[in-house]
Amino acid sequence: MMRKELLLQRSAWMTETDSPVVISSRVRLARNLEDFPFPHILSAEDASKVEQIVAQVLTEIKVNNEQLLYIPLTELSSVEHQVLVEKHLISPSLGGLTGARGVALASDHRYAVMVNEEDHLRMQVLLPGSQLSETHRLATALDDALEAKLDFAYRESQGYLTACPTNVGTGLRASIMVHLPGLVITKQVQRVLGALTRLGLAVRGLYGEGSQAFGHIFQVSNQITLGKSEEDILTHLEAVTGQIVEHELQARELLRQQMPLLLEDKVWRARGTLQNARLLSSEDAMHLLSHDRLGSDMGLLPKINDGFATLIVNTRSGCLQYILDRELDPHQRDEERARLIRGAMSEARCTIHEA
Amino acid sequence: MLCQHCQQREAIVQLSKIENGQTQEFFLCELCAKQTQEVSFIFHPAIVPEFLQALFGFNPSSIEQPSEISCPKCGITFSRITQAGKLGCSTCYETFETQLEPLLRRVHGGGQNVGKVPTRRGVTLKCRQEEKKLKEQLQVLIQKEAFEEAAVVRDQIRQIEQAKGGEEHDA
Repeated sequence: MMRKELLLQRSAWMTETDSPVVISSRVRLARNLEDFPFPHILSAEDASKVEQIVAQVLTEIKVNNEQLLYIPLTELSSVEHQVLVEKHLISPSLGGLTGARGVALASDHRYAVMVNEEDHLRMQVLLPGSQLSETHRLATALDDALEAKLDFAYRESQGYLTACPTNVGTGLRASIMVHLPGLVITKQVQRVLGALTRLGLAVRGLYGEGSQAFGHIFQVSNQITLGKSEEDILTHLEAVTGQIVEHELQARELLRQQMPLLLEDKVWRARGTLQNARLLSSEDAMHLLSHDRLGSDMGLLPKINDGFATLIVNTRSGCLQYILDRELDPHQRDEERARLIRGAMSEARCTIHEA
Repeated sequence: MLCQHCQQREAIVQLSKIENGQTQEFFLCELCAKQTQEVSFIFHPAIVPEFLQALFGFNPSSIEQPSEISCPKCGITFSRITQAGKLGCSTCYETFETQLEPLLRRVHGGGQNVGKVPTRRGVTLKCRQEEKKLKEQLQVLIQKEAFEEAAVVRDQIRQIEQAKGGEEHDA
């Protein structure tokens, strides 16, 4: 598969599922090679060695009968870096670093392994909908396949050793991406998500640390990685996810009962704007797409075939420029974003949602 | 950004001075900040975004001392670890075990690892642990002059060593 084709591929996690609130499930494992210092103090020479060793093994093994493709980040343009970040396949910090580093990808992006980020290896499995256990199963299989050929830094008392002590132990960060327009509109989101930090969980916006929750999308993940087993961490997050989904669905029902006209107006206005606007900023688009998705989830609007996550990602500035294969200034981006969304929203491409 | 005082080193400390209701801000390097003897300084969030420094209890008065222990494998000192918010290598966990203990307790609640054990190396790790235990036993038995029992333990150690040798040969 050519690089451009691979990068433009719709990522597995963007596939629509029947889960109305949970967009995707992610598991990330941090691992380091025993014989090298951690990436932040590696010499250029050692960084290349680590990259070589890991990339070699990554392309030798097969996951789900498929070989991963390793891409050195030094070979990519800044737009390509941006595309990978927007699709959640690399962290913004990997793009920001210099030196030997890269990412190995599966053709549908369900596996993405970063090399020489904060740790030598950061393996990620990202699946659509609510399926943390399956995500973890795939990540463990990938970890086992790599561990058969690499010596990972490990101590009995502290588990897998990581550059940052916040990841030590299991090296596991499990997270779910949730769409919570109901809780935001009914002003309950602070109360519901605020309580999570006391349960050892972290809440962030769509694009990682410090990012705002544009499009009413939030990411919830575990904070504690040492002293708990992988199963405990996942069970805890799954239970909390169930609670969040419940609260969100209750909020939506509240809206339907208490202000049906206002709700209908909101979602139809969003649909109307998306179908007709000639200029859309990125924040505008996310906000309107979120309301549109709420409407189709609740059976108030015909469903759009392209899917919420796909449109959110494809209208980000990196993806937009990569799809159109040319550089765009901010004004042109707003124009092209509106054009892309109009295309996806044309009547023929929407189907009535049978709720 | 360079230190506003010496104009040589990277500024990592933001000094906010409030006098007669007027706030003055300075950006200084570690050394100059230390020398100003001003008591209240906070870190400039844009320069030092790592909340980890706070967790590590980093403060510029703990700047690298010449006598400080450094990690035998990567050479990093604990002061540098607190500055970076990251350890240097896997051996650092052993080198700085005492200093790390309170930090790990604050972040994770003080538990020991109960997570996954590496599949391939897990077996070797268990063997190594067993061997260590037996060798300690052997020493005790020899000191007690309990030679018959010591011989049994010695044979057990030999068995483990042979198994290990076999494994290495297979690999």
